Amino acid sequence: MREIGRLSLVLFIISGIAALLLGATNYVTKDVIAEQIRLENEQARMEVLRDAEEFTQMDQAEVSAAAQALGFDNVEVIEEVYQGISAGETVGYTFKSVPRGYGGEITVLTGISIDGTVTGMRVVSHTETPGLGAKATEEGFMAQFEDQSAASPLEVIKSGTPGQNEVSAITGATITTQAVAQGVNYSIEMFNELNK
Amino acid sequence: MDFGKNLFNGIIPENPIFKLMLGLCPTLAVTTAAMNGLGMGLATTVVLIGSNVVIALIKDKIPDKIRIPAFIVIIASFVTIVGMLLKAYLPDLDKALGIFIPLIVVNCVILARAESFASKNDVLNSLADGIGMGLGFTLSLTILGSIRELFGAGSIFGISVFGGGFEPAIMMILPPGAFLTLGLLLGLLNKVSASK
Repeated sequence: MREIGRLSLVLFIISGIAALLLGATNYVTKDVIAEQIRLENEQARMEVLRDAEEFTQMDQAEVSAAAQALGFDNVEVIEEVYQGISAGETVGYTFKSVPRGYGGEITVLTGISIDGTVTGMRVVSHTETPGLGAKATEEGFMAQFEDQSAASPLEVIKSGTPGQNEVSAITGATITTQAVAQGVNYSIEMFNELNK
Repeated sequence: MDFGKNLFNGIIPENPIFKLMLGLCPTLAVTTAAMNGLGMGLATTVVLIGSNVVIALIKDKIPDKIRIPAFIVIIASFVTIVGMLLKAYLPDLDKALGIFIPLIVVNCVILARAESFASKNDVLNSLADGIGMGLGFTLSLTILGSIRELFGAGSIFGISVFGGGFEPAIMMILPPGAFLTLGLLLGLLNKVSASK
């Protein structure tokens, strides 16, 4: 009985020290990490909608209501919408969507200009398999989405040369490709709803 | 005194992958390309060195009966702290290696070395063992990754080897390719060492 008490105490102390260290590290790093993510998002927004000079975030309640009206399975799939503004005029929107990939949520940022063209797509973060799904962050893959029309949804093809509104799947990572395309398609639908 | 011997031990005589057969799950998953093997290997090396040293330092304080849970708490905390610090202060490195960090927590090479080496030896030798095992792990992963990338994508470290006419055997970068490559390599190594 006494031994169990002693062992529990030692394990308790070790876990306690570990918890303290983890808590302290989290306390020190959480603001820095949040700032890094904010900078990264800002950078990504500029990349997908190059014509905009500044961005203002749209009311998320409005976005959720639009998602509900569109009948999205997950009304929270579009996490953020920013209006891109240049010389006082809206030149386009950026949409941060979180479709479910193979290894978890993928954060996809899509820029759509006011005339209905996808101006860029960035996979901001993901937990896909290295060497397969992780290839979604490669420039060649992301460039496929640029200059696509937002008039109709994009389709993923597994072989052949992609035509209008088609993107080639990453070999061995069809699920990832479909998830990214789905994120873009949600953004396209949301764009058409907001820009009516 | 035995520093050099312990260091070399992990690289060839007791190579964690080819001889001890430890940590095969992450190995099979990430070795789709040479670069991924190298990245995973180096990230593991850092954690292995850290956990070996910490465990060698406090081994006398931990009662034998609860050593495994104690080691797991220490290793998991160590990995999580490294992950948070990377995210906050070295975002570029985090982008390259971050995807491997969660895989390291469940890597049994680290627990195995804590249990079979660091808990029985002093700090300096445990450090040598950590470096050696880490380098051996990195070496094996890079070799596996290179072979799979060569046949599965026609390149090594992203540099094309066979030129444009090569039709890559995609299976090699998919899971079956991992088992085939590892199996054939192990067979070859056993044949070589048996004929000595």
